[in-house]
Amino acid sequence: MITVTNLSKTYGGTLVLELPELSIPKGQRFGLVGNNGAGKTTFFSLLLDLIESSSGRIAINDIDVQSSEDWKPFTAAFIDESYLIGYLTVEEYYYFLGSLRGLSTKEIDEWVLGFESFFNGEILGKKKYLRDLSKGNQKKAGIVGSLIGSPDLVILDEPFANLDPSSQIGLKKLIEDIAKKSTITFLISSHDLTHVTEVCDRIVLLEKGKILKDIKTTPSTLKELESYFSFKE
Amino acid sequence: MASYSVIDSIKLSKKKFFRAPQWELKLAIRILISFVVLYFLAAFLFLGVGIYFIAQKSAPEQNPVFLINQFLIYYFGIDLLIRYFVQNLPITNIKPLLIQPISKNKIVQGVMLRSLGSFFNWIPLVILLPFCIVYTLNETTTYTLWIWLLGVLFFAGINNFLVFFINKSRVVAVGLFLLLLLGSVFQNVLGVPLLSFFEKGYDFLFLNPEAVAAPFLLFILTIGVQYVFLKKQLYLDKGFSGKKERIVGSGLTVFDRVGSLGVFIKNDIRLILRNVRARQVVFMGFLFLFYGIIFFTQEVYMESYVMLIFAGIFTTGGFMLTFGQLVPAWDSEYFSFLMCQNIPYRNYLKSKLYLMMFSVVLSLILSLPYLYFGIKIMTIILATAIFNFGMGSFITLYSGAFNATPVKLNVKAKAFENTQNFSFSQLLFTLPKIVLPVLVFYVPFQFFGFTAGIIGLCLTGLLGLLFNGFLLSRIEKTYQKRKHQTLSSFQKT
Repeated sequence: MITVTNLSKTYGGTLVLELPELSIPKGQRFGLVGNNGAGKTTFFSLLLDLIESSSGRIAINDIDVQSSEDWKPFTAAFIDESYLIGYLTVEEYYYFLGSLRGLSTKEIDEWVLGFESFFNGEILGKKKYLRDLSKGNQKKAGIVGSLIGSPDLVILDEPFANLDPSSQIGLKKLIEDIAKKSTITFLISSHDLTHVTEVCDRIVLLEKGKILKDIKTTPSTLKELESYFSFKE
Repeated sequence: MASYSVIDSIKLSKKKFFRAPQWELKLAIRILISFVVLYFLAAFLFLGVGIYFIAQKSAPEQNPVFLINQFLIYYFGIDLLIRYFVQNLPITNIKPLLIQPISKNKIVQGVMLRSLGSFFNWIPLVILLPFCIVYTLNETTTYTLWIWLLGVLFFAGINNFLVFFINKSRVVAVGLFLLLLLGSVFQNVLGVPLLSFFEKGYDFLFLNPEAVAAPFLLFILTIGVQYVFLKKQLYLDKGFSGKKERIVGSGLTVFDRVGSLGVFIKNDIRLILRNVRARQVVFMGFLFLFYGIIFFTQEVYMESYVMLIFAGIFTTGGFMLTFGQLVPAWDSEYFSFLMCQNIPYRNYLKSKLYLMMFSVVLSLILSLPYLYFGIKIMTIILATAIFNFGMGSFITLYSGAFNATPVKLNVKAKAFENTQNFSFSQLLFTLPKIVLPVLVFYVPFQFFGFTAGIIGLCLTGLLGLLFNGFLLSRIEKTYQKRKHQTLSSFQKT
């Protein structure tokens, strides 16, 4: 699904990301962990061609993201609230996304019913602009929005942050259900080690822009990660 | 408790300014804008000095003060209207102070005192103080003149606080302005002197200095009410919560028929309906409709075609210019989202283009009353509209690609503080938007006369329409090439 070769990004002489080689196969749930400044968001931004790389290339389905835009129809992302259009209602936002991905308003209306329990009755039909929703509900609205039109690749930055406990559990279930039913590739970054190890089948640990660990998730992964992130005496 | 003073409040504002990203640029712009403000101050000063002599000349038997009094109600009405659109209470800045050991009285005092520093409060002083000095030098007056000045200043102060109440309710605001409009229609068109009541009041104030007690008490009253009101607002669920907004523009299904372009048009209409800043710009564009009056009513300009073309361009293109120069900045809040969507860039641009073109047509229709000034003026308006429609719209859209300062959609821009969307490149781009039409008129005009000039304008507009596909492709390429630059500057707020 994703192939990274010799990718690097520097800001004013400081290297913030250096990935000589990374490949993410189709259908994988790929977890990205690391402290602040490790390069997680930089990686996502490069992947979405929102910043230019200093060297190297990223390809989604063999399409170089920097030279073509053909990856856009099957790629979706929710990075932060700036991925919502604040002055639209949730429904209007979904219709907009649907129209970009070839779905009619009727199809969207039907599709969105499947998320009723995840939304917990707090999001749909509220007659509120997205900018007036709480942080948690904005996040939920955005995550579901990124699933519209069944993309092949979904990128979520910190999806668990700001969610209430029920929604965190709901989101884990949601991702697992989708993974069972389809071959969507998930890229998930998180500061919550428990959640990310439960949801992802592969974890990559970044530190100062470099890959420090690349592990297939096993029952002992959480312990391993926790020992890495603990303060050393 | 008392350690937080007004000075501390000013210090905080200072830090906010100097620590903002790109503050050097902002400082440079501030300096530039200070010159503009200085220019206005100087103009007002001259006006203030001049009023006395103008009044003497036009109505020698009448006391100049009475002449001024005729205009005061209009001034205060327009003052209130403009304040309504631009003046905001600086309340959001004080949120962090709430849980600090500072008394709420002090916080409220700081906010109210700062609001008095508004530019609008200085205008009457700057105009009327020189007037009063000139008046005193030329006439034998007593202190009554100065009491009258004081009274007028009180009225300005009342406006300063009144506007915050009007801001709370759209119904009150619209009602008040309708009342004023009706009043001036009755006064000037139907001959029912409703507004003379105010004029009489100001005259009374001049003749009976003790009457200053009325505006003074009213001023104190607004301060008191504002004080009590503000203090109640210092809770998260009150003043900081933001108004609960009604959903507007949810229908718009008409545009579904235009396919994927309709989606963008729908979004743009909602953007305008639902965001304070966008509504402000629409209002500005509306004001430009009256730009023609300044020129068309003056005999001196009737033979100066350059000025008339200039007036025509602004009259028919006000909205186009003010709205268009902020494309793509209107979408800056979610620009990275748009950029990773499967978006046909062309449709995105087309929607903005059509909106601008539509505004030109609308402005043209609303400009029809200018027919009153004769066929020649109307011809100029029609020709400049065609130019704006076919060529100006493309130039504006193109120039937008170089405007990389983000727009905060739901935040009001303040008068003379609208630095967030000022850039040198924008200044440069005003040249083709304004000089080009003058040029395509003037060159043929010099050789072949008025009709040729008008044809020149129309042809340029039609040329733009003829090559619309080519122009749009060029613009699209420019936008695409500048994508990463635009993205990174939109992220810096």
